[in-house]
Amino acid sequence: MLRKLMKHEFRATGRVMLPMYLVLLVTAVGSNLADRSILDSRYEVLNVLGMLVITAFGFSICGVLLISFVLMIQRFYKNLLQDEGYLMFTLPVNVHQHIWAKLIVSSVWFTVTVLAVILSGLVVVYDMGFLRELFDFLGYFFQGLQKLKISEALNGTVYLAEFAVLIFLSLNAFSLQFYAALATGHSFANHKMLLSVVFFFGFQFAIQFLGSTLFITLDHLDLIPYFRWDLTPQAAIHLGLLLAIGGVILYGMIFYAITTFFLKKRLNLE
Amino acid sequence: MSVLDCKALTKRYGRVTALDEISFSAEPGRIIGLLGPNGSGKTTLIKLANGLLTPDSGVLSICGAAPGPATRALVSYLPERTAIPTWMSAAQLMDFYGDFYQDFRRQTAEEMLAHLGISPKQRIKQMSKGTREKVQLIMVMSRAAKLYLLDEPIGGVDPATRDYILSTIIGNYSPDAAVILSTHLIADVEQVLDDVIFINQGRLVLQSTVDNIREEQHKSVDALFREVFKC
Repeated sequence: MLRKLMKHEFRATGRVMLPMYLVLLVTAVGSNLADRSILDSRYEVLNVLGMLVITAFGFSICGVLLISFVLMIQRFYKNLLQDEGYLMFTLPVNVHQHIWAKLIVSSVWFTVTVLAVILSGLVVVYDMGFLRELFDFLGYFFQGLQKLKISEALNGTVYLAEFAVLIFLSLNAFSLQFYAALATGHSFANHKMLLSVVFFFGFQFAIQFLGSTLFITLDHLDLIPYFRWDLTPQAAIHLGLLLAIGGVILYGMIFYAITTFFLKKRLNLE
Repeated sequence: MSVLDCKALTKRYGRVTALDEISFSAEPGRIIGLLGPNGSGKTTLIKLANGLLTPDSGVLSICGAAPGPATRALVSYLPERTAIPTWMSAAQLMDFYGDFYQDFRRQTAEEMLAHLGISPKQRIKQMSKGTREKVQLIMVMSRAAKLYLLDEPIGGVDPATRDYILSTIIGNYSPDAAVILSTHLIADVEQVLDDVIFINQGRLVLQSTVDNIREEQHKSVDALFREVFKC
């Protein structure tokens, strides 16, 4: 059933995101052409047109980033907490499947959006000279890799992977914070959206307060002398990143539990 | 076995008791009118049966099971508002119902849409409010469910549409299913009902067959309703 929920979620969101990517690509190609020829034209009209195309590309980047974010919130709100909720919550699926479908589809769009923005940036700066420079850079990069010790190359790769996982999980945890605030706010009879906003900032405050308290407490406990691990700087960075990943997972789990509880036990559709 | 069984079902919203120890059962093959004035608890009862709300006390079961994903596969629900996604076309909506409900009869739905002259390619948002309600009803009645929960299906529609809705319900529900139809427009539905349940201020006032009301009390359901709920 999760697969079916995701299929229809992709249908609902794809009709918004795919045209946005198309606009991004078209304006990127337009900006590339403008940069190559139109901007240097002796005709002022063409110069203005070139500037407009480049500005449109800038707006497209902002638009696609903003829409992928707004869509994550809007789909949860409209599809589960507004009128469509009467249909969705009477499907033979459970609350967990609803949340995962929304979360997975949002993550996919976040990832595709980042890749699309990078790709469009490459399209804008693309020319034969750039391509040559890129290949030269890659050549130097791989030559540099050969000179590295295996442990250094491995460490670098794992840092990157850990950092990518951290960013990915942070985005999902942040989405869950929005879901939890919306689910909590909409469990009340009145002022549902206002209360959702209040709960979002309330959660933010609570997490920051708890986090700060935890750090201050650990600092006061002065635990460092007990850790005689003799870590290398590289290992310490790995440990820091892994701890951050663990923290983000815990942060996400808290909001997942809140969202699940309110959708299961306190659902209050208008 | 009863299709729907409620025992001492109670639901409160804060200090307000919406349902107060309601007990009744719905048997297969019956069309039951859930009748009561506005705010009497009809929608709350239907939401509880769908698992959209959780009772404060009491027990509710559908074909012997507590409301949950498994019972939702047995229940076909028509909410009082239009809940179908308006960005979908009628064909996409049929895909959606077909994906989630094994008992969805696509051919039946297509025939009913064709009868109304609705193109499967037409988007829901391009349809009038009345047509949207009809499409939603077609989806609900195209399922071969065990229990149909229809919340105010004829509220706010013109008399011709009312006739269409009632004939669609009568013509399409499975014979081994129970239909619970909530309304306060008694005169319009009286001719299709087998049983009635009167509720007022969250309490069950009366449960009877329509034949009993006519034979023993020599009244129509509408006349009895007006008498019981006289202001």
